[in-house]
Amino acid sequence: MDIYITGIGVISAIGFNVQENYQALKNKKTGIEPARFFKYKTKLLVGEVKLSNQEIISQLNVSVPISRTSLLGIVAAKEAWGDNKSNKLIRTGIISSTSVGGMDNSEIYYKQKLQTDNPDLSLITTHESGGTTNRIAEEIGITGFINTISTACSSGANAIMLGARMLQQNKLDRVLVGGSDCLTKFTIEGFKSLMIYSDEWVKPFDNERKGLNLGEGSGFLLLENEKSIAISKNKKLAQLSGWGNASDAYHQTASSPDGKGATLAMLNALKKSNIEASSISYINTHGTGTPNNDLSESVALKNIFQHVVPSFSSTKAYTGHTLAASGTIEAVYAVLALQNNVTFPNLNFSTPITETMLIPELECNPKQNINYVLSNSFGFGGNNTSLILKKA
Amino acid sequence: MSYISTYCHISLNQCFVDGKQTHQFNSLSIDQFLKDLYTALSLDYPKFYKMDRLTKLAFIGTELLKKEHPEITMYNDNEIALLFGNNNSSALTDINFKESYQNGGSPSPSLFVYTLPNILLGEIAIRNKWYGENMFIVNENFDSVYFINYVNILLNKNAEAVFCGWLNVNDEMVEAFLFFVSKKDIIQLNLPFEKSKLIELYQENKL
Amino acid sequence: MEDLKTKLKEQIIEQLNLEGYNVSDIKDDMPLFGDGLGLDSIDALELIVLLENNYNIKITNPEEGKSVFNSINSMADYITNNKK
Repeated sequence: MDIYITGIGVISAIGFNVQENYQALKNKKTGIEPARFFKYKTKLLVGEVKLSNQEIISQLNVSVPISRTSLLGIVAAKEAWGDNKSNKLIRTGIISSTSVGGMDNSEIYYKQKLQTDNPDLSLITTHESGGTTNRIAEEIGITGFINTISTACSSGANAIMLGARMLQQNKLDRVLVGGSDCLTKFTIEGFKSLMIYSDEWVKPFDNERKGLNLGEGSGFLLLENEKSIAISKNKKLAQLSGWGNASDAYHQTASSPDGKGATLAMLNALKKSNIEASSISYINTHGTGTPNNDLSESVALKNIFQHVVPSFSSTKAYTGHTLAASGTIEAVYAVLALQNNVTFPNLNFSTPITETMLIPELECNPKQNINYVLSNSFGFGGNNTSLILKKA
Repeated sequence: MSYISTYCHISLNQCFVDGKQTHQFNSLSIDQFLKDLYTALSLDYPKFYKMDRLTKLAFIGTELLKKEHPEITMYNDNEIALLFGNNNSSALTDINFKESYQNGGSPSPSLFVYTLPNILLGEIAIRNKWYGENMFIVNENFDSVYFINYVNILLNKNAEAVFCGWLNVNDEMVEAFLFFVSKKDIIQLNLPFEKSKLIELYQENKL
Repeated sequence: MEDLKTKLKEQIIEQLNLEGYNVSDIKDDMPLFGDGLGLDSIDALELIVLLENNYNIKITNPEEGKSVFNSINSMADYITNNKK
């Protein structure tokens, strides 16, 4: 059964909607800069969404308390959902994903609790990962199948994979799949303690890369089967043709030197898609800019594609690493690449990694038609997922 | 048709495998109980001591079932998938991590590692060198339908077996329900993998 | 210096969750990584935290850490030379 993408929504450091993100990508405009709204003790480069919570709350007209993760998720989910309505004939669900949940509010509560006598208890009611999905579902008006995935940086991609499977298994006809994460002190301190947060602008796939910059945002996609499209009459934007997940079984936070988990995930996706590696036109890599990931991923790319690695880039030098949201934001970018027949430049690159000598895509104009896009998301715990999207 | 080849329940100071009690302890704390169970299983895996409570519970649960029925792991390294879930993600460790830096200390990287619930999947995969699919879900309650659907999808694709777990930990309790679903009924317990049987086994031993 | 080395061993056993280890199990010149105590990359990062929290010494470059954390001897020398 074919799975179609009929709606996309995204909010990130480079734009509040799909069009703005697309323009920034084409014009090589990064969204990574010192934080404007997020308060941190030292100057920090982040991929921040350039809106305060209050601005988003007013725009959406939602009630508080509400976490920033939910706010970003609602913006992207609404854009992807568009004018769709609930319909008894179309079995509908929502699968979202997050790693921080409502941690932003919980951090405010925790500080208040340490410093005052009357902390605002309502702030911790928004903490749970599942709670952020429920809130998004409520605002869109989806009841019934509601699920939350939490597998670190591959969460969003896994949400898409689960959604596709629910359609293929004939459990649902359409599903809103997404991921959302906001900046928190928790994750910043954590990545700094692992010594992989760079104090410079991230350089994916560059030999001098020093680490990642964190980002925030949300991406959502609407997946439909043919039966649902016959009723909704939505336009097919792209097709989800394959997916694969595998375990790296190597280390809690580092990827294996031989890229085994990444290789297996890509192989599984190609198998599911029923295409050869040579059919892939462009790859949106995980490409976090850490010494470890970019080398491991490069090795995996060479395992699959040998010496004919297709055009590839990381878009994380635009958005930062948006954790759970990254798989879904980058899937939206894959749809844009297919629709517009473009590739997105890998910013801030000058020297290839010595061990693998791969040079990423630096421009927008591809040398061939973009028919199949591969999108990688690799999470801590060795959870590796690859998606393949195809022209509709 | 697939089968629940084996299953276990773990709660403070007791373990039940396939409905029969296998261990009982008088440990005075949850962390001591997990250590005592680790020792009782004669596992030579010092990395256990670095894991957080949720991960230790998942790890110990899988090792318990492997010990009782070694034959369940006779598969190729990419044929066993992992499907786990809980209702509060990594909340307990999140709090511990936050406390490590909140009052002026430096944030602990070894705690940060465990502030993602799916790390327990990684630890099981690393221990066993399993390269199959792995997924973690956060739900309010144990959802038998979710497990049935997802396991069936996995068994229809690359997996020959799925190690499943629903486990919850907090300050005051640990509770784990692990079950191993396979295409063949390995131990011949004759437990078909379907909704009513799964719910029945989940509710066994519940106080 | 001997007191410092003993204290270091106690702190390492505690902070790195080295269950079942006593101070006497960690020899002063034993390699802490690889063959020896067998610490891993996350342990290395925890040692950086240990230096910061207990001795007020900040290592910002993990590469520098490699020589500092070679053994108890090298750690004790570094602390003695850099303690604030």
